[in-house]
Amino acid sequence: MNGHEQFADDLALYAMGTLEGDERLRVEGHLQECPACRVELEKFRGDVALLAFSASGPRPPARSRERLLAAIAKEPRRIETRASRPMAWWRAFEWAGAVAVVVMVLLLVRQNNDLQRRVADLQSSSARQQQQLLQAKQLVGTLTSADAEHYVLVAGKSPPQPQGRAIYVPSSGTLVFLASNLPQLPPQRIYELWLIPTKGTPIPAGLFRPNPQGSAAVVKPPLPAGIEAKTFAITVEPEAGSAAPTSQPIMVGSRG
Amino acid sequence: MAQLYERYSGIVYSVALRVLGDTGAAEDILQEIFMQLWRNPDGFDVSRGSLPGWLAVIARNRAIDSFRKRRPEVEMTEVVVGIGPDMVRGIEWNRTLDKIRGVLGSIPAPQRSALELSFFEGLTHTEIAEKTGEPLGTVKTRIRAGLLALRKAFNQ
Repeated sequence: MNGHEQFADDLALYAMGTLEGDERLRVEGHLQECPACRVELEKFRGDVALLAFSASGPRPPARSRERLLAAIAKEPRRIETRASRPMAWWRAFEWAGAVAVVVMVLLLVRQNNDLQRRVADLQSSSARQQQQLLQAKQLVGTLTSADAEHYVLVAGKSPPQPQGRAIYVPSSGTLVFLASNLPQLPPQRIYELWLIPTKGTPIPAGLFRPNPQGSAAVVKPPLPAGIEAKTFAITVEPEAGSAAPTSQPIMVGSRG
Repeated sequence: MAQLYERYSGIVYSVALRVLGDTGAAEDILQEIFMQLWRNPDGFDVSRGSLPGWLAVIARNRAIDSFRKRRPEVEMTEVVVGIGPDMVRGIEWNRTLDKIRGVLGSIPAPQRSALELSFFEGLTHTEIAEKTGEPLGTVKTRIRAGLLALRKAFNQ
Protein backbone atom coordinates (compact mmCIF):
# COMPACT_ATOMS: atom_id res chain seq x y z
CA MET A 1 0.00 0.00 0.00
CA ASN A 2 1.74 3.14 -1.07
CA GLY A 3 -1.02 5.51 0.07
CA HIS A 4 -1.58 7.19 -3.31
CA GLU A 5 -5.16 6.00 -3.74
CA GLN A 6 -6.35 7.44 -0.45
CA PHE A 7 -5.10 10.86 -1.56
CA ALA A 8 -6.33 10.64 -5.15
CA ASP A 9 -9.61 12.54 -4.62
CA ASP A 10 -8.09 14.96 -2.11
CA LEU A 11 -5.38 15.98 -4.57
CA ALA A 12 -8.07 17.18 -6.97
CA LEU A 13 -9.71 19.23 -4.20
CA TYR A 14 -6.31 20.58 -3.15
CA ALA A 15 -5.68 21.75 -6.71
CA MET A 16 -9.10 23.46 -6.65
CA GLY A 17 -8.05 25.29 -3.47
CA THR A 18 -11.08 24.01 -1.56
CA LEU A 19 -9.49 21.46 0.75
CA GLU A 20 -9.38 22.73 4.32
CA GLY A 21 -8.37 21.82 7.86
CA ASP A 22 -6.86 18.45 8.72
CA GLU A 23 -7.48 17.03 5.26
CA ARG A 24 -5.41 19.83 3.73
CA LEU A 25 -2.59 19.28 6.24
CA ARG A 26 -2.59 15.53 5.56
CA VAL A 27 -2.30 16.09 1.81
CA GLU A 28 0.50 18.63 2.28
CA GLY A 29 2.34 16.17 4.53
CA HIS A 30 1.98 13.41 1.96
CA LEU A 31 3.11 15.69 -0.89
CA GLN A 32 6.33 16.40 0.99
CA GLU A 33 7.32 12.77 0.71
CA CYS A 34 5.60 11.56 -2.46
CA PRO A 35 7.06 12.61 -5.83
CA ALA A 36 4.34 10.75 -7.75
CA CYS A 37 1.59 12.74 -6.03
CA ARG A 38 3.45 16.00 -6.67
CA VAL A 39 3.41 15.16 -10.37
CA GLU A 40 -0.28 14.30 -10.19
CA LEU A 41 -1.01 17.59 -8.40
CA GLU A 42 0.67 19.53 -11.19
CA LYS A 43 -1.53 17.73 -13.70
CA PHE A 44 -4.66 18.55 -11.68
CA ARG A 45 -3.61 22.21 -11.62
CA GLY A 46 -3.44 22.16 -15.40
CA ASP A 47 -6.94 20.61 -15.45
CA VAL A 48 -8.19 23.38 -13.14
CA ALA A 49 -6.85 26.03 -15.55
CA LEU A 50 -8.79 24.36 -18.37
CA LEU A 51 -11.91 24.48 -16.22
CA ALA A 52 -11.32 28.21 -15.63
CA PHE A 53 -11.14 28.80 -19.38
CA SER A 54 -14.68 27.42 -19.73
CA ALA A 55 -15.95 30.78 -18.40
CA SER A 56 -14.31 32.64 -21.27
CA GLY A 57 -16.60 34.79 -23.39
CA PRO A 58 -17.69 38.23 -22.24
CA ARG A 59 -15.27 41.11 -22.92
CA PRO A 60 -14.85 43.86 -20.35
CA PRO A 61 -16.40 47.22 -21.25
CA ALA A 62 -14.14 49.85 -22.82
CA ARG A 63 -14.29 51.96 -19.67
CA SER A 64 -12.30 49.27 -17.81
CA ARG A 65 -9.33 49.86 -20.07
CA GLU A 66 -9.49 53.63 -19.60
CA ARG A 67 -9.79 53.15 -15.85
CA LEU A 68 -6.73 50.90 -15.74
CA LEU A 69 -4.59 53.23 -17.85
CA ALA A 70 -5.66 56.20 -15.71
CA ALA A 71 -4.74 54.30 -12.53
CA ILE A 72 -1.37 53.34 -13.98
CA ALA A 73 -0.66 56.96 -14.86
CA LYS A 74 -1.44 57.94 -11.26
CA GLU A 75 0.91 55.41 -9.67
CA PRO A 76 3.15 57.38 -7.35
CA ARG A 77 6.58 58.06 -8.76
CA ARG A 78 9.43 59.67 -6.88
CA ILE A 79 10.02 62.97 -8.66
CA GLU A 80 12.76 65.02 -7.06
CA THR A 81 12.15 68.77 -7.31
CA ARG A 82 14.48 71.41 -5.97
CA ALA A 83 12.95 73.79 -3.45
CA SER A 84 12.78 77.25 -4.95
CA ARG A 85 13.88 80.38 -3.14
CA PRO A 86 11.25 82.53 -1.50
CA MET A 87 10.18 85.27 -3.88
CA ALA A 88 7.79 88.11 -4.07
CA TRP A 89 4.20 87.03 -4.32
CA TRP A 90 3.63 88.57 -7.77
CA ARG A 91 6.72 86.82 -9.18
CA ALA A 92 5.73 83.54 -7.57
CA PHE A 93 2.40 83.87 -9.25
CA GLU A 94 4.06 84.36 -12.63
CA TRP A 95 6.33 81.41 -12.25
CA ALA A 96 3.87 79.01 -10.69
CA GLY A 97 2.08 78.34 -13.95
CA ALA A 98 5.31 77.75 -15.86
CA VAL A 99 6.73 75.43 -13.20
CA ALA A 100 3.50 73.46 -13.08
CA VAL A 101 3.60 72.98 -16.85
CA VAL A 102 7.25 71.87 -16.80
CA VAL A 103 6.66 69.44 -13.91
CA MET A 104 3.61 68.06 -15.66
CA VAL A 105 5.55 67.54 -18.90
CA LEU A 106 8.42 65.88 -17.03
CA LEU A 107 6.00 63.61 -15.20
CA LEU A 108 4.28 62.59 -18.40
CA VAL A 109 7.58 61.96 -20.23
CA ARG A 110 8.90 59.94 -17.34
CA GLN A 111 5.74 57.91 -16.97
CA ASN A 112 5.65 57.29 -20.68
CA ASN A 113 9.26 56.08 -20.63
CA ASP A 114 8.54 53.86 -17.64
CA LEU A 115 5.50 52.41 -19.36
CA GLN A 116 7.44 51.65 -22.52
CA ARG A 117 10.33 50.14 -20.60
CA ARG A 118 8.05 47.92 -18.54
CA VAL A 119 6.17 46.69 -21.59
CA ALA A 120 9.45 46.01 -23.39
CA ASP A 121 10.85 44.17 -20.34
CA LEU A 122 7.72 42.08 -19.99
CA GLN A 123 7.64 41.20 -23.69
CA SER A 124 11.32 40.38 -23.79
CA SER A 125 11.18 38.27 -20.64
CA SER A 126 8.04 36.46 -21.77
CA ALA A 127 9.49 35.72 -25.23
CA ARG A 128 12.74 34.42 -23.73
CA GLN A 129 10.97 32.20 -21.24
CA GLN A 130 8.59 30.88 -23.88
CA GLN A 131 11.55 30.04 -26.12
CA GLN A 132 13.34 28.22 -23.31
CA LEU A 133 10.17 26.37 -22.43
CA LEU A 134 9.64 25.39 -26.07
CA GLN A 135 13.18 24.04 -26.34
CA ALA A 136 12.80 22.12 -23.09
CA LYS A 137 9.47 20.67 -24.26
CA GLN A 138 11.00 19.63 -27.59
CA LEU A 139 13.86 17.93 -25.79
CA VAL A 140 11.58 16.09 -23.39
CA GLY A 141 9.23 15.26 -26.27
CA THR A 142 12.09 13.73 -28.24
CA LEU A 143 13.23 11.63 -25.31
CA THR A 144 9.78 10.41 -24.32
CA SER A 145 8.02 10.16 -27.69
CA ALA A 146 6.45 6.79 -28.45
CA ASP A 147 7.70 7.25 -32.03
CA ALA A 148 11.30 7.90 -31.02
CA GLU A 149 13.67 5.43 -32.65
CA HIS A 150 16.45 4.25 -30.36
CA TYR A 151 19.65 2.84 -31.77
CA VAL A 152 22.09 0.87 -29.67
CA LEU A 153 25.63 0.86 -30.93
CA VAL A 154 27.67 -2.22 -30.03
CA ALA A 155 31.15 -3.36 -30.95
CA GLY A 156 31.52 -6.18 -33.46
CA LYS A 157 28.65 -8.65 -33.66
CA SER A 158 27.66 -8.73 -29.99
CA PRO A 159 23.88 -9.18 -29.66
CA PRO A 160 22.22 -6.14 -27.95
CA GLN A 161 21.82 -6.60 -24.19
CA PRO A 162 19.38 -4.87 -21.83
CA GLN A 163 21.03 -1.62 -20.99
CA GLY A 164 20.27 1.54 -19.00
CA ARG A 165 22.08 4.84 -18.77
CA ALA A 166 21.37 7.40 -16.05
CA ILE A 167 22.69 10.96 -16.20
CA TYR A 168 22.31 12.64 -12.83
CA VAL A 169 23.11 16.12 -11.46
CA PRO A 170 22.99 15.81 -7.64
CA SER A 171 22.99 19.55 -6.88
CA SER A 172 19.70 20.10 -8.72
CA GLY A 173 18.24 16.59 -8.42
CA THR A 174 17.97 16.40 -12.21
CA LEU A 175 17.94 12.94 -13.76
CA VAL A 176 17.68 11.65 -17.32
CA PHE A 177 17.47 7.89 -17.76
CA LEU A 178 17.45 5.98 -21.06
CA ALA A 179 17.05 2.23 -21.42
CA SER A 180 17.13 -0.18 -24.33
CA ASN A 181 16.48 -3.84 -25.10
CA LEU A 182 14.36 -4.33 -21.99
CA PRO A 183 12.04 -7.35 -21.96
CA GLN A 184 8.29 -6.60 -21.97
CA LEU A 185 6.35 -7.01 -18.71
CA PRO A 186 2.82 -8.30 -18.02
CA PRO A 187 0.23 -5.45 -17.73
CA GLN A 188 0.08 -5.58 -13.93
CA ARG A 189 3.84 -5.10 -13.55
CA ILE A 190 6.04 -2.06 -14.25
CA TYR A 191 9.70 -1.13 -14.13
CA GLU A 192 10.70 1.23 -11.32
CA LEU A 193 13.95 3.19 -11.28
CA TRP A 194 15.63 3.78 -7.91
CA LEU A 195 18.22 6.27 -6.78
CA ILE A 196 20.41 4.42 -4.26
CA PRO A 197 21.85 7.16 -2.04
CA THR A 198 25.18 6.88 -0.26
CA LYS A 199 23.18 7.13 2.97
CA GLY A 200 19.62 6.00 3.57
CA THR A 201 17.04 3.95 1.74
CA PRO A 202 16.41 3.79 -2.03
CA ILE A 203 14.44 6.75 -3.42
CA PRO A 204 11.80 6.14 -6.16
CA ALA A 205 12.98 7.84 -9.36
CA GLY A 206 10.21 7.03 -11.81
CA LEU A 207 8.05 4.29 -13.32
CA PHE A 208 8.33 3.24 -16.94
CA ARG A 209 7.30 0.67 -19.52
CA PRO A 210 9.45 0.04 -22.56
CA ASN A 211 8.03 0.56 -26.04
CA PRO A 212 7.60 -2.49 -28.30
CA GLN A 213 11.29 -2.24 -29.26
CA GLY A 214 12.28 -2.39 -25.59
CA SER A 215 13.31 1.27 -25.24
CA ALA A 216 12.24 3.65 -22.48
CA ALA A 217 13.10 7.06 -21.04
CA VAL A 218 12.55 8.76 -17.71
CA VAL A 219 13.16 12.50 -17.88
CA LYS A 220 13.50 14.70 -14.83
CA PRO A 221 11.44 12.73 -12.31
CA PRO A 222 10.68 14.68 -9.10
CA LEU A 223 13.72 14.12 -6.88
CA PRO A 224 14.98 16.14 -3.93
CA ALA A 225 18.10 18.21 -4.72
CA GLY A 226 21.45 17.53 -3.09
CA ILE A 227 21.18 13.73 -2.72
CA GLU A 228 24.50 12.03 -3.38
CA ALA A 229 23.92 8.87 -5.42
CA LYS A 230 25.82 5.68 -4.80
CA THR A 231 24.21 4.14 -7.87
CA PHE A 232 20.89 3.56 -9.66
CA ALA A 233 18.91 0.33 -9.90
CA ILE A 234 15.80 -1.04 -11.62
CA THR A 235 13.26 -3.42 -10.09
CA VAL A 236 9.99 -4.86 -11.36
CA GLU A 237 7.07 -3.62 -9.24
CA PRO A 238 3.24 -3.72 -9.16
CA GLU A 239 1.80 -1.38 -11.78
CA ALA A 240 1.14 1.50 -9.32
CA GLY A 241 4.80 1.50 -8.30
CA SER A 242 6.22 1.02 -4.81
CA ALA A 243 7.56 3.35 -2.16
CA ALA A 244 10.37 0.85 -1.47
CA PRO A 245 11.71 -1.97 -3.68
CA THR A 246 9.74 -5.20 -3.31
CA SER A 247 11.94 -7.34 -5.54
CA GLN A 248 15.59 -7.88 -6.30
CA PRO A 249 17.07 -5.39 -8.81
CA ILE A 250 17.26 -6.67 -12.35
CA MET A 251 19.80 -4.01 -13.27
CA VAL A 252 22.22 -2.06 -11.10
CA GLY A 253 24.41 0.77 -12.29
CA SER A 254 28.08 1.40 -12.06
CA ARG A 255 29.50 4.89 -12.32
CA GLY A 256 31.01 5.54 -15.75
CA MET B 1 0.72 46.67 -20.33
CA ALA B 2 -1.82 47.74 -22.95
CA GLN B 3 -0.91 44.68 -25.04
CA LEU B 4 -1.17 42.35 -22.07
CA TYR B 5 -4.54 43.90 -21.30
CA GLU B 6 -5.79 43.46 -24.86
CA ARG B 7 -4.78 39.84 -24.80
CA TYR B 8 -5.79 38.64 -21.37
CA SER B 9 -8.40 41.03 -19.96
CA GLY B 10 -11.17 38.90 -21.50
CA ILE B 11 -10.34 35.74 -19.60
CA VAL B 12 -9.79 37.59 -16.30
CA TYR B 13 -13.06 39.50 -16.64
CA SER B 14 -15.03 36.43 -17.78
CA VAL B 15 -13.94 34.31 -14.85
CA ALA B 16 -14.61 37.09 -12.32
CA LEU B 17 -18.01 37.75 -13.87
CA ARG B 18 -18.88 34.05 -13.77
CA VAL B 19 -18.03 33.87 -10.06
CA LEU B 20 -19.56 37.19 -9.00
CA GLY B 21 -22.41 37.63 -11.51
CA ASP B 22 -21.94 41.38 -11.31
CA THR B 23 -20.24 43.41 -14.03
CA GLY B 24 -19.09 46.21 -11.71
CA ALA B 25 -17.54 43.79 -9.23
CA ALA B 26 -15.90 41.86 -12.09
CA GLU B 27 -14.40 45.12 -13.40
CA ASP B 28 -12.96 45.79 -9.93
CA ILE B 29 -11.26 42.37 -9.94
CA LEU B 30 -9.92 43.03 -13.44
CA GLN B 31 -8.51 46.36 -12.31
CA GLU B 32 -6.98 44.88 -9.15
CA ILE B 33 -5.22 42.04 -10.97
CA PHE B 34 -3.75 44.18 -13.74
CA MET B 35 -2.61 46.82 -11.27
CA GLN B 36 -0.79 44.11 -9.31
CA LEU B 37 0.75 42.90 -12.54
CA TRP B 38 1.82 46.48 -13.26
CA ARG B 39 3.34 46.96 -9.82
CA ASN B 40 5.06 43.59 -9.81
CA PRO B 41 5.73 42.44 -13.39
CA ASP B 42 8.02 39.71 -12.05
CA GLY B 43 5.12 38.17 -10.11
CA PHE B 44 4.51 35.72 -12.92
CA ASP B 45 7.13 33.04 -13.43
CA VAL B 46 6.80 30.81 -16.49
CA SER B 47 7.51 27.77 -14.30
CA ARG B 48 4.14 28.43 -12.65
CA GLY B 49 2.30 27.53 -15.86
CA SER B 50 0.81 29.38 -18.79
CA LEU B 51 0.10 33.09 -18.30
CA PRO B 52 -3.60 32.92 -19.27
CA GLY B 53 -4.13 29.90 -16.99
CA TRP B 54 -2.37 31.67 -14.15
CA LEU B 55 -4.45 34.82 -14.63
CA ALA B 56 -7.69 32.84 -14.87
CA VAL B 57 -7.03 30.98 -11.61
CA ILE B 58 -6.02 34.21 -9.85
CA ALA B 59 -9.19 35.89 -11.11
CA ARG B 60 -11.25 33.05 -9.68
CA ASN B 61 -9.45 33.18 -6.31
CA ARG B 62 -9.78 36.96 -6.04
CA ALA B 63 -13.44 36.88 -7.08
CA ILE B 64 -14.30 34.25 -4.47
CA ASP B 65 -12.43 36.23 -1.80
CA SER B 66 -14.35 39.32 -2.86
CA PHE B 67 -17.66 37.43 -2.83
CA ARG B 68 -16.98 36.21 0.69
CA LYS B 69 -15.77 39.67 1.74
CA ARG B 70 -12.48 38.37 2.98
CA ARG B 71 -8.88 39.35 2.49
CA PRO B 72 -6.99 37.49 -0.27
CA GLU B 73 -5.98 34.09 1.09
CA VAL B 74 -3.35 33.29 -1.51
CA GLU B 75 -0.79 35.76 -2.83
CA MET B 76 -0.64 36.09 -6.62
CA THR B 77 2.95 34.92 -6.66
CA GLU B 78 2.01 31.71 -4.83
CA VAL B 79 -0.52 30.57 -7.42
CA VAL B 80 0.64 27.68 -9.56
CA VAL B 81 -1.15 26.20 -12.54
CA GLY B 82 -0.08 23.21 -14.57
CA ILE B 83 2.06 23.85 -17.60
CA GLY B 84 -0.08 23.91 -20.71
CA PRO B 85 -0.03 25.44 -24.16
CA ASP B 86 -0.37 29.18 -24.52
CA MET B 87 -4.04 29.04 -25.44
CA VAL B 88 -4.64 32.54 -26.63
CA ARG B 89 -4.07 32.53 -30.34
CA GLY B 90 -7.15 32.89 -32.52
CA ILE B 91 -8.30 29.64 -34.01
CA GLU B 92 -6.34 27.53 -31.55
CA TRP B 93 -7.99 29.34 -28.67
CA ASN B 94 -11.48 28.85 -30.15
CA ARG B 95 -10.79 25.16 -30.68
CA THR B 96 -9.58 24.83 -27.12
CA LEU B 97 -12.70 26.50 -25.80
CA ASP B 98 -14.95 24.30 -27.93
CA LYS B 99 -13.13 21.24 -26.64
CA ILE B 100 -13.42 22.29 -22.98
CA ARG B 101 -17.10 23.07 -23.35
CA GLY B 102 -17.62 19.83 -25.26
CA VAL B 103 -16.14 17.84 -22.38
CA LEU B 104 -18.18 19.71 -19.78
CA GLY B 105 -21.30 19.15 -21.87
CA SER B 106 -20.65 15.45 -22.22
CA ILE B 107 -19.93 14.49 -18.60
CA PRO B 108 -22.85 13.58 -16.32
CA ALA B 109 -24.74 16.61 -14.99
CA PRO B 110 -24.02 15.86 -11.28
CA GLN B 111 -20.29 15.67 -12.10
CA ARG B 112 -20.38 18.98 -13.96
CA SER B 113 -22.37 20.58 -11.16
CA ALA B 114 -19.87 19.40 -8.51
CA LEU B 115 -17.00 20.82 -10.58
CA GLU B 116 -18.69 24.18 -11.06
CA LEU B 117 -19.80 24.52 -7.43
CA SER B 118 -16.26 23.76 -6.32
CA PHE B 119 -14.45 26.02 -8.78
CA PHE B 120 -16.77 28.91 -9.57
CA GLU B 121 -18.44 29.12 -6.16
CA GLY B 122 -15.42 28.00 -4.13
CA LEU B 123 -17.51 25.54 -2.10
CA THR B 124 -15.73 22.81 -0.16
CA HIS B 125 -16.79 19.21 -0.75
CA THR B 126 -18.56 19.34 2.65
CA GLU B 127 -20.57 22.38 1.57
CA ILE B 128 -21.42 20.75 -1.77
CA ALA B 129 -22.53 17.56 0.00
CA GLU B 130 -24.78 19.59 2.31
CA LYS B 131 -26.21 21.53 -0.62
CA THR B 132 -26.87 18.52 -2.86
CA GLY B 133 -27.57 15.87 -0.22
CA GLU B 134 -24.93 13.61 -1.78
CA PRO B 135 -22.41 11.62 0.31
CA LEU B 136 -19.04 13.33 0.82
CA GLY B 137 -17.11 10.58 -0.96
CA THR B 138 -19.37 10.82 -3.99
CA VAL B 139 -18.79 14.56 -4.26
CA LYS B 140 -15.02 14.14 -4.00
CA THR B 141 -14.97 11.42 -6.63
CA ARG B 142 -17.14 13.47 -9.01
CA ILE B 143 -14.81 16.45 -8.82
CA ARG B 144 -11.77 14.31 -9.52
CA ALA B 145 -13.51 12.44 -12.33
CA GLY B 146 -14.55 15.74 -13.94
CA LEU B 147 -10.99 17.07 -13.92
CA LEU B 148 -9.69 13.78 -15.30
CA ALA B 149 -12.23 13.97 -18.14
CA LEU B 150 -10.82 17.40 -19.12
CA ARG B 151 -7.27 16.07 -18.95
CA LYS B 152 -8.11 13.05 -21.06
CA ALA B 153 -9.58 15.23 -23.83
CA PHE B 154 -6.34 17.21 -24.09
CA ASN B 155 -4.01 14.22 -23.85
CA GLN B 156 -5.54 12.43 -26.81
